[in-house]
Amino acid sequence: MLSPAKKALAAGNLAGFPDGMGVLVDLTRCVGCRSCEAACNREQGLPAPDQPFDDYSVFEQSFHGGTQKRRPTEKAYTVVNRYESEASDKPIYRKIQCNHCNEPACLTSCFVGAYTKTPEGAVTYNSKVCVGCRNCMVACPFHVPAYSYSDPIDPVIKKCIFCYDSRVKHGMPPACVEICPSQALIFGKRDELLKIARQRMTKDPAKYVDHIYGEHEVGGTSWLYLSGVPFEEVGFDTSLQQEPIISNVKDFLGTVPMVLAIWPALFTGFHLLATKGKGDHHDHGQAEEEGEDS
Amino acid sequence: MKKLAEHGIRPLDSAEKKNGKKWNLMEKLFLGLSLEQYVSQVIRNKFNWVLGAILAIGIPFIIYRFIFGLGSVTHSSYDYPWGLFLGFGLFCMVPLSASGFMLGTTVEIFGRHDFEPIERLALLNGLLGYLFAVVYLLVDLGQPWRLAYPMVYSFGPAAVLFLVGWHVATYLSVQVAEVSTAFFEWIGWPAGKAFIRKGTIGLTVAGIILSTLHQGALGALFVYAPGKVHPLWYSAPFQWIHFFVSSIPGGLCMVIAVSTIVIKTMSWRCDERFKENLGDLTLKLAKGASMGLITYLVIKLIAVAHDNEWVYLASGWGLWWLIEMIGGVVAPLVIFAYGIRHKLVGLVRIGAFMTIAGVVLNRLNTALITFNWKLYQEIPHISEIIISITIFAIYIATYRFILNRLPILYAWKAQPAEAPVKAEVPVAAGRESEQEMPAGA
Amino acid sequence: MFVASSWPAKGVLLLLFLLLPLSGYATDAPEGIVIDVLSNHYEPVVFDHELHVGVAEDCSTCHHHTTGTGTADSYCARCHSNEAEQELVSCQDCHLADPFSAAAINVKSGQDLFHVDVSGLKGAYHQNCIGCHKEMDGPTGCQDCHARTEEGDRFFYSGQFAPPPAEDSGH
Repeated sequence: MLSPAKKALAAGNLAGFPDGMGVLVDLTRCVGCRSCEAACNREQGLPAPDQPFDDYSVFEQSFHGGTQKRRPTEKAYTVVNRYESEASDKPIYRKIQCNHCNEPACLTSCFVGAYTKTPEGAVTYNSKVCVGCRNCMVACPFHVPAYSYSDPIDPVIKKCIFCYDSRVKHGMPPACVEICPSQALIFGKRDELLKIARQRMTKDPAKYVDHIYGEHEVGGTSWLYLSGVPFEEVGFDTSLQQEPIISNVKDFLGTVPMVLAIWPALFTGFHLLATKGKGDHHDHGQAEEEGEDS
Repeated sequence: MKKLAEHGIRPLDSAEKKNGKKWNLMEKLFLGLSLEQYVSQVIRNKFNWVLGAILAIGIPFIIYRFIFGLGSVTHSSYDYPWGLFLGFGLFCMVPLSASGFMLGTTVEIFGRHDFEPIERLALLNGLLGYLFAVVYLLVDLGQPWRLAYPMVYSFGPAAVLFLVGWHVATYLSVQVAEVSTAFFEWIGWPAGKAFIRKGTIGLTVAGIILSTLHQGALGALFVYAPGKVHPLWYSAPFQWIHFFVSSIPGGLCMVIAVSTIVIKTMSWRCDERFKENLGDLTLKLAKGASMGLITYLVIKLIAVAHDNEWVYLASGWGLWWLIEMIGGVVAPLVIFAYGIRHKLVGLVRIGAFMTIAGVVLNRLNTALITFNWKLYQEIPHISEIIISITIFAIYIATYRFILNRLPILYAWKAQPAEAPVKAEVPVAAGRESEQEMPAGA
Repeated sequence: MFVASSWPAKGVLLLLFLLLPLSGYATDAPEGIVIDVLSNHYEPVVFDHELHVGVAEDCSTCHHHTTGTGTADSYCARCHSNEAEQELVSCQDCHLADPFSAAAINVKSGQDLFHVDVSGLKGAYHQNCIGCHKEMDGPTGCQDCHARTEEGDRFFYSGQFAPPPAEDSGH
């Protein structure tokens, strides 16, 4: 399916910026205190929540006929959900936010180029140019970007930006990582985090499933996850492809210049062939029962 | 209008009145009728009342949407960012408007002048379909006033939507130019028409290029969402070809459908050439559509085989896929084959409507129904449905307004044809006049 | 936000640790330690070291291999089975209060360390405390150990800062 093309559009193996930062989330350490939600709310200046951040009844919430748990919204860039798994006698908590892909689908689908993947790893977003087509929401394999539908004047995409402007740019960890009491979230260079993740799995193989979620998913993400139970049991989509989303589209993008180059000559040629000798007389086609009409 | 015709009143179809004076613009707008005649026949027509009712209900909803935002008329879904406005308005209207470039190519490139009587209808169908796809888009965009940003201000050239945006915009201009010849005839500016005619081949080839790419690009948009669209409706390498190829029968059948509605409801506006040729042309269009459909069927099966998705056919989604393919592709193919062989125009027309339904179902399946098949199904908000119907009603009203006036269904003449005047014309003549085209499609 | 060194109370903490005798076992261990790295949102916690000395099996339960009692962890024991008491035994001597600062990250990534995964101070405390507290039925809720300050309530939109009950009860 993938050709070994080396086009800029189709850099399928881009592993992100070499010194890109990331966060390693260890689900076995998360205690579900929701401090990260509170920190995110404060840091990003988000509106007051519907319920206090120390109200753990939110874990009981479900939506759309009980099929869906909480998800990031325009008012909350990160949420923690609770899961039960047969593989664990304790509930498991999972934090959801933008995973900051190495090659973000949102970025490659945006027709005004509003998104930026910064060298630090953050996927940021310029709301000043957002037209509101919401293609990035369609493209995001993690269902992350939200949209401020409630705003009639200036509705824009709302998502975690890795605290880029206020913290990561200045060498500080994002607010959620800093507040995490059990350091279920650790901040560091993505390469180092992968080493740490492997070391944890080596040291205690019974504790972890043998997978680092985000190492390879859709080309790799800056945020990485370790889990003690199978990832699909705690809300992860484990069917994602390893190639970046853009690699699906490059077949089509590759045909664009071909069509642009070939069609004019081809169809002008057809025109000359089809009309040669016919002149302008308008025969009404009775004799052409078998003619191709298209 | 039928009633008016009995009294010898013929709709305006020429540049000059019988006395040799030119019609002025107001007279042209009123179809050559007096104001009283015009108003009374508009009021008499029941379909106008239906349209009026839809607009009376729907337009406040549209105003409401722009004052209070998208959240006030949709479910504000983060998981289904695209609802009916795009799912129907953009993804269904555009393939059904492929007629413009199809017939343009047939007539202008392949020199099939036998299709000329219907060429302008196909071009107009293309133009209006695209125009209203953009209207739907404007209603759906969060910040429609920034629509031109990707053209002039901020560029994302590697995005498929960038291509769609540019191509639809360019193609709309091409179509305006193509249809403008009829407008120039009507308004009485032959120099404009002559100028456009000189560029016909260029415009038509541009139309082919732009259509190939953006019909395909609409499909490629969903290639961004591999886990969200159901595998039977998703194919990374072939999605754009599926969308492009299915737009061919879609566009051709839309011409059959519109011409059917036109000949049934506003035959007063069609000239003899159109009426005489329509049956024959319908069969020929169906022949073209059959070629498109059979190709489409084959490449859909290839896609299932390529990704080895046969196992999905045994699921509920597989049944749904089979319904779409059999009802929207295989059945019309059979109907076309039988209808064309036995020259049954009526049957072919039924096949055309089924093909259109098949294309619409395919686009709705891809954009809405099978989208997020792993999550949950979302039924669009009632206001979203009302607004979508309202815009479609405006589309039909615009369509009729133009068909009634511009020389689309009839040839423009310099002088009026001889029309026998039998009776004095009462102002309120023709109570059951049926001038209008109902919304059949 | 919670960089320990940025708080005046850090002085108190530092003093306490400076006063710790550096040799000997149990007798010269501190009776209590004031932990206030979260003082923005929580009142300082007085950690009753004496109590925990009584509860823990031996020092290595918390202090790994640094207190001269060996280590029970077979993974650590591969290198650190028979070590004398170390000079540095307090938590924050190894576990940085500020583990994610640019400086800390650069130091770590510049070296070929075996211990690439040393928790920060706050993480070390909580990982050590909570697991044991669960087994021994100690306090495990946040506010069981940390009384929240008014600023903490504001931060969590809790207590007097709780949002008005929503019309749809999610409870």
